[in-house]
Amino acid sequence: MAYLVGRIASSVVLAFAVATIVFLALHLVPGDPAELLLSTGGISPDPAAVAELRERLGLDRPLHVQYLGFLTGLLRGDLGRSLVDDYSVAAEIALRLPRTLELIAAGTIIALAVGVPAGTYAAVHAGGAFDRIMSGVMALLMAVPVFVLGTLLILLLAQTLKLMPAGGFVPFWRDPGQHLLLLSLPALVIGKGLVAIVFRMTRASVLDILPRDHVRTARAKGLAEGRVLRAHVVRNAFGPVLTVLGLHMGSLLGGTVLVEYVFNWPGLSTPLIRAVEGRDYPMVVGIVLTVSGLFLLINLVVDLLYAALDPRVRAG
Amino acid sequence: MTNLTRRGLVKSGLGLLAACGLTSGVEAQRAKLLRFGLSAWPPNLQPWVSTGASAGTVKMLIHSRLIGYDRAGNLAGELAESFGHEADGAWVFRLVPNAVFHNGEPVTSADVRHTIEQIGGERSTAYMRAQFQSVSRIETPDARTIRIHTKEPVATLPTWFGNYNMPIVWRGSPANEPVGCGAYRLESQERGTSLDLVAFDRYFRAGLPRIERLRLVVYADENLRFAALKSGDMDMIEYVPWQSMSGVESDPRLRLDTQYGPFMDILFNGTKGPFADARIRRAVAHAVKREDIVQAAFFGRGRPLEGVPIVEGTPWWDAELSKGWRYDPAEAKRLLAAAGAPNGFQTVMLGTAQFGMHKDTAEVVQQHLAAIGIQCELRLPDWSTRVRLGTTGQYEIAIHGVSADNNDPDGLTVIMDTSLSPTHGRSFGVQAPRTIDLLARGRAEFDETKRVAIYKDMQRAALEEVPLVGLAWRAQGYGMDRRVTGFTNIPGALSTSSGFMLTETTIA
Repeated sequence: MAYLVGRIASSVVLAFAVATIVFLALHLVPGDPAELLLSTGGISPDPAAVAELRERLGLDRPLHVQYLGFLTGLLRGDLGRSLVDDYSVAAEIALRLPRTLELIAAGTIIALAVGVPAGTYAAVHAGGAFDRIMSGVMALLMAVPVFVLGTLLILLLAQTLKLMPAGGFVPFWRDPGQHLLLLSLPALVIGKGLVAIVFRMTRASVLDILPRDHVRTARAKGLAEGRVLRAHVVRNAFGPVLTVLGLHMGSLLGGTVLVEYVFNWPGLSTPLIRAVEGRDYPMVVGIVLTVSGLFLLINLVVDLLYAALDPRVRAG
Repeated sequence: MTNLTRRGLVKSGLGLLAACGLTSGVEAQRAKLLRFGLSAWPPNLQPWVSTGASAGTVKMLIHSRLIGYDRAGNLAGELAESFGHEADGAWVFRLVPNAVFHNGEPVTSADVRHTIEQIGGERSTAYMRAQFQSVSRIETPDARTIRIHTKEPVATLPTWFGNYNMPIVWRGSPANEPVGCGAYRLESQERGTSLDLVAFDRYFRAGLPRIERLRLVVYADENLRFAALKSGDMDMIEYVPWQSMSGVESDPRLRLDTQYGPFMDILFNGTKGPFADARIRRAVAHAVKREDIVQAAFFGRGRPLEGVPIVEGTPWWDAELSKGWRYDPAEAKRLLAAAGAPNGFQTVMLGTAQFGMHKDTAEVVQQHLAAIGIQCELRLPDWSTRVRLGTTGQYEIAIHGVSADNNDPDGLTVIMDTSLSPTHGRSFGVQAPRTIDLLARGRAEFDETKRVAIYKDMQRAALEEVPLVGLAWRAQGYGMDRRVTGFTNIPGALSTSSGFMLTETTIA
């Protein structure tokens, strides 16, 4: 219990530190949200109007007063409202975050669906043509930047063959087929790196398991090769794959920025970029805090799982 | 009827995978729907606050202005059926009799008065705030007549009402829910993604709008916006990227409509450093070969701008004056020598790397200035920093891109009148007294012939005082399916206001 309390407390302190750093960093770089909003499109706003908007948004208050207001709101669970359109930051995140998580989940499913069978087959036929070809393909997938692959797919499948839409978003409840169609390309692109990782990890794990005694015993008992692979090889090889998958899912959050932009997928990245460009302080802090919180939560869960599995971790 | 297409088959398959038999009803309504690709999500739809051209397009569709423009860019009444200037100095506007707001209330002179008072109010953040604070008196003798008096004579007052940040709003509107009287109502929106507009059945202009529904979908990435047009996802897009214009032209299914309106220019800090000297600024003006900018930054989709940015084809344009800053490195060197800097000097050029056209333009200008001895170190921060540094005068020379308010030379005041409060889009503290005086005289002159003469003098003064240096007009393009008809890209600076033409647009 003490371990659990300690880990949660350190996560809260870390979240607070992240929020403070982001808040201060944003206010220290040049840029005035009021002036930027009224300068949209490159026009020159009336400075009196800019001053009025600054006052209305509370940006004329001293920094420490703004910071205290921000902290007070945070303690109440209030992330504030956008400086651009007065929209609730929490509501924006609640709207956008599920879309980003959906993208990551879809990418992960693709990675597992392709990487595990392909990795297993490559390991069973190690050194064969499939193994060598797939190793090359996976290296290529790792090397190609997401925006290059995304752009090429749009060019080929949308512009040239007209098989797929160029990008965008339709809510699932409005049109499930169109929703999945629009999800498929960005999910494929964001999952491509993970496919390679899962493939390599599966291949290595299966190669490690295959010569073990229990596998030989299973074969000696006369079990079919397919069942040996499923029940005694892949199942045991899956542990390390899941660990690596968990670690990389966090980094996928960062990878969504480019993918969401290229495919016009309205996840959390678009408002984050727009908010940074427009110095929309509450929106930036709210989103960064949410993403950081997710990272911390994942780390906390992993740590707690380790602790549950290994008493030596609990003992410190 | 839904056409059987490859994409349809893929979509159907995924729909089945989703174990859901629902299908979109949208395609069945294609004949009544236009899908339009916006370049940016409107930051907000506050009627009088400027939040960019994309927001302006939406505002012009859900609201109406007192004055609009015809296809040629001439002022034309929108809510005003007539307007004119009277002997006592008042501008008088007569409202159409049949306009109603979306809540059914009639549009009256009291609503116009309310709009003007809100815009010109002390606590206003409206784009046209400064202009309307020069209104001294508003009279509404009856429900359809508005008489506006200004502190000084203003010949260009109707153009104020033509700005897309000038919708007339119902006077009883709640603070954050302005009620308009535009051709469309905002039916729904998918925040950050799309807006759905539906025709207002009591719109006052007979037979309009010609499309039942508009779906405005945001494609911030210009390449994806173009791809959406090419693939048929969109019927029409704004801001066709320059590199993709040939792709639209070469597609027999598509049509491109471009105008030269926005332009790139050089701004100066006149309070310190070498550019306080007008001769140095003129040297810069003669040193840059504009054609290189047109090719490098705009893929050939622009025009050299070697004078004050007056739109060609307007009465104020003059062939000779438009070449007043022609490329002439020898003259540039002569001016540098005359200013006491025969070997040039070193400076820092401000721009932004956030927009490719700004960065590319800055790089070309840097090369040409180096050729006459002015060595520029480029400072290309993000746009936010660029704006702040510009407004506070923390630069010596800067690259900018902008559009005038309209095609009247008075629309250049906001860009060229350096006596106004500092902003990032005007030179900082540059002394240009003759230019500023002539801009003011042109604004106050009602005789068209005299105005033409005044503005030609203004151009001559500006060529000498150099409050800015014009570099290149850039093409502003709309791409559309050939089935889309009735849309016109309005000439010159009004190109970014062309969104209101969607009310007269239809699709076969």
